[in-house]
Amino acid sequence: MKYPSISPLEGPNIKIFLRFAPGSPSGQPKSQFLGSGASRPQPPEALFHEPASFRRGSAFDSLRLMGSVTLPLGLPGQGMNFGIDPLSALFLAVLVPQVVAGAIAGMARSATFWVFVLGMAVALAGRDAFTLLFGFGLMSAASWLLVLRGDARPATLYGGVAAFSAACLVPAVFLPAGGLAFVLVLLGAGAMAGLAPLHAWLPRAHPAAPAAVSAVMAGGMVKVALYVLVRYGFVVLGGVAQPWWGVLLVLAGAASVLVGAIRAMLEVELKTLLAASTVAHVGLITVGLGIALWAKAMGDGVLAALALQAALFWVVAHAMFKPLLLLGAGAIQQGTGTTSLDWLGGLMRGMPKLGLLLLAGAAGMAALPLGPGFPAEFLLLHAVFAAAARGGIGGRIGFAALLAVLGLSAALALGAAVRLVGVGLLGRPRSLRAAAAEEAPGPVLAGMALLAACCVPVALLPGLVLATLQPVVAMLAPGAVPLPLDYAPLPLALLLAVLAGGAILALRRFSRRGSREVPAWAGGFGKPPAWLPFGDPATQPTGTGFAEPVHRALGHAVLARGGPDPGEAWLLAPLVRLQAWPMRLAERIRRATLRQRLAVVFAALVLVLLAFGISQAAGRAG
Amino acid sequence: MLLLLLRLLAVLLHTAMVFAAAPLPAGLLAKLRARLLGRRGPPLLQPYVELGKLLAKQTLVPETATELYPAWPLAAAAAVGAAAVLTPGFCLGMLGGSGSDFITIIGLLALARTAVLLAGMETGFAFGGAGAAREVLFGIFAEAALLVVVLSFVLMAHDPTLDGVARQFRAAPPGISVSLGFALAALLAVALTETGRLPADSPGGQQELGMVHEALLLEYSGRYLLLLQYAAMLRLMVWLGLIGTMFFPFGMAEAGALWSWPLGLLLWVAKLGLLAAALALFEISAAKMRVLRVPEFLGLAVLFGMLSAIFLFVAARFGA
Repeated sequence: MKYPSISPLEGPNIKIFLRFAPGSPSGQPKSQFLGSGASRPQPPEALFHEPASFRRGSAFDSLRLMGSVTLPLGLPGQGMNFGIDPLSALFLAVLVPQVVAGAIAGMARSATFWVFVLGMAVALAGRDAFTLLFGFGLMSAASWLLVLRGDARPATLYGGVAAFSAACLVPAVFLPAGGLAFVLVLLGAGAMAGLAPLHAWLPRAHPAAPAAVSAVMAGGMVKVALYVLVRYGFVVLGGVAQPWWGVLLVLAGAASVLVGAIRAMLEVELKTLLAASTVAHVGLITVGLGIALWAKAMGDGVLAALALQAALFWVVAHAMFKPLLLLGAGAIQQGTGTTSLDWLGGLMRGMPKLGLLLLAGAAGMAALPLGPGFPAEFLLLHAVFAAAARGGIGGRIGFAALLAVLGLSAALALGAAVRLVGVGLLGRPRSLRAAAAEEAPGPVLAGMALLAACCVPVALLPGLVLATLQPVVAMLAPGAVPLPLDYAPLPLALLLAVLAGGAILALRRFSRRGSREVPAWAGGFGKPPAWLPFGDPATQPTGTGFAEPVHRALGHAVLARGGPDPGEAWLLAPLVRLQAWPMRLAERIRRATLRQRLAVVFAALVLVLLAFGISQAAGRAG
Repeated sequence: MLLLLLRLLAVLLHTAMVFAAAPLPAGLLAKLRARLLGRRGPPLLQPYVELGKLLAKQTLVPETATELYPAWPLAAAAAVGAAAVLTPGFCLGMLGGSGSDFITIIGLLALARTAVLLAGMETGFAFGGAGAAREVLFGIFAEAALLVVVLSFVLMAHDPTLDGVARQFRAAPPGISVSLGFALAALLAVALTETGRLPADSPGGQQELGMVHEALLLEYSGRYLLLLQYAAMLRLMVWLGLIGTMFFPFGMAEAGALWSWPLGLLLWVAKLGLLAAALALFEISAAKMRVLRVPEFLGLAVLFGMLSAIFLFVAARFGA
């Protein structure tokens, strides 16, 4: 069986190859491997060898310094090849802050968590299909265990999705490069990334895990799945890419964006809300990737580079602010015993530090200027503008519609962020536990602060981030020339600071100073009674109430009537019905009367005799 | 060097004028509206008087407000202010013209809207929350329509900045086209939403339940209310400037050419007046609308935006 292995890439990639296992494809016989520069005798069953297994004079020579390891793992005759090129380096780098933050926030002692992280790292650093799938499987299995610890029901669903994903990816890597292989990769990786229409599991399974795991699942695991998509779509199968692959990606991405954004606006549970927003962000990344793939297949390097920049920038930004928000949601759950927006409120008073960190994350989620999400949104919208300027008239109208969908979703994301902050952090507490909430534990705050600190360069120095992304863009779309970025956050921040400072100074100079604390006016309703220290909680909108106008206007149109999500109503519900069908069949067999059973036995006998007779007759005639 | 200085001077003049004149369109609108309805109306400078009154008033902070209570008005005013600085007014080619990207300006306006929404939810009382929920709903459709309209302009002018689009249209007026007509209709609807002048809103009324934008400001007083009201006036100014620059860039001055400034200034004032008059005419001619009908109204704006883009594509296809 020949492996379509991931070929080393041209360009300025970092040549670090860790070669595991004897008899690697570089063609070294085992005896030579054992006999060459090994300075001390090694038992053949030893798991860790000296880095003597590499030929001198080759690109692998430098590895002696790297302390590489040889594992008798992997496929016979193939082994596990590890290497880092710009693409895997980017995704690995993006993984680091959130893993560190997750570990600080309380997962450092969990072995499963580290296996989960190891799985992601193996999948990202793997240089052949087996290693990649092995890491992917490890990641899925470990995260399944972590979800199972939280809740058994979504874990079953999640296990099914992971199995489906593997069932798509394994044949895909054996298939010859072509459309079918790409579609299978898209199904397999898209299912794990939460791409519509296979996204319905994500808002159920992600929130079930502990918060730090949810954070890494949303910020990291989803990215690993997207990495597989990029790796196959752009690199392995890149030579035979067709424009319709990109169109497929754009369609799936646009559907995810719309459904994810609306669900993020409507969900009441904080973690579910954030998971739905993850679906939307995966959709945004996929739209960017789709435009890039489409443009690359059409031979438009500039557009491909722009769209890739947008997609990769979203990857970086989302990996910073989403784990931050999820860690914060976990801290809120710890502090108040609930993540339901309907029972929160006024947390800014009890948890000021957590509130400010969440505010930073929410700015990223809403893609507001000077937040980490805005440069990515900026690039993506410009990529869609540029895409609408070329292609056939159908494609142009499609891109104009895509722009409407993106605008709708951007405003929905803004609404979701306003709802998160406005209902959860501001206003009056809606329950006693929310009123009595105390500041989150130090480690969680430290993890969140780390991620927030990582958000700062992403938000304020997008040029630097783009320069870092440049090798990846050059690798995925060779010869593409990215345009300079027209968004300059630093001057903008300066302008805002000057204006705000001017306003403060002017008010201090001209207006009446000081302020007095009074009961809220509340339209003239007056002070609440003493036995309701925060007034009647029912006199302020809840999370559900805040989303009601949007639900009335858009919910029925976009979401299915049967369930909270079209993916659930049209995909999962039929599957559940289908799953009940063999059970009903078994039940009917069990309840069959004696006469029916005898009839079946008799019919089987007749059939066997008939087949036997026909074969005899055929044999005699032959 | 001189050119740079002139461009800087243009920005400073533009900023000073926009900030000083921001309450004027609001006053003009109120006056025109009253006149069209057969009343005398408030004096033209009434908004200045009201802002001055707020300067002298004491600032009351509700007990249930959090520490961020003073931050929202400031953020809203600063964000709208930045958008006002970046949006070209009387002249093109100002310093920072390349920063006048459509997406940046839309983002700044969204930032300001977010700050106002959070200001409304800050205290946690019914009217602010209800107003915020409605405003979010309106914003969803407005943003979709706005982006599609912007697409038409970017494609027509091959430039993603407001400055570049206006420059292109000033040099080569596209004439009257179906596409531009639809775009103007869609953009006017968006502008009405964004400036809180939808016929569903009753900003001047006494009933809080009917308010959308004003309901968000109910718990603010004194200098914070001043900031929020000034931001709303500035926002109206930005939108008038935006529409003026996009659709009627003729006669706009060039920042590098000092002799073109007087005409540009004069035409700018005239354009602002005409646009305000058009807005007043729309306001008195439109019947009040149920809040739940607003999505349909704005859905129409999205549709017009799409039609504008489609007509553009068809025209490009047939070389018309």
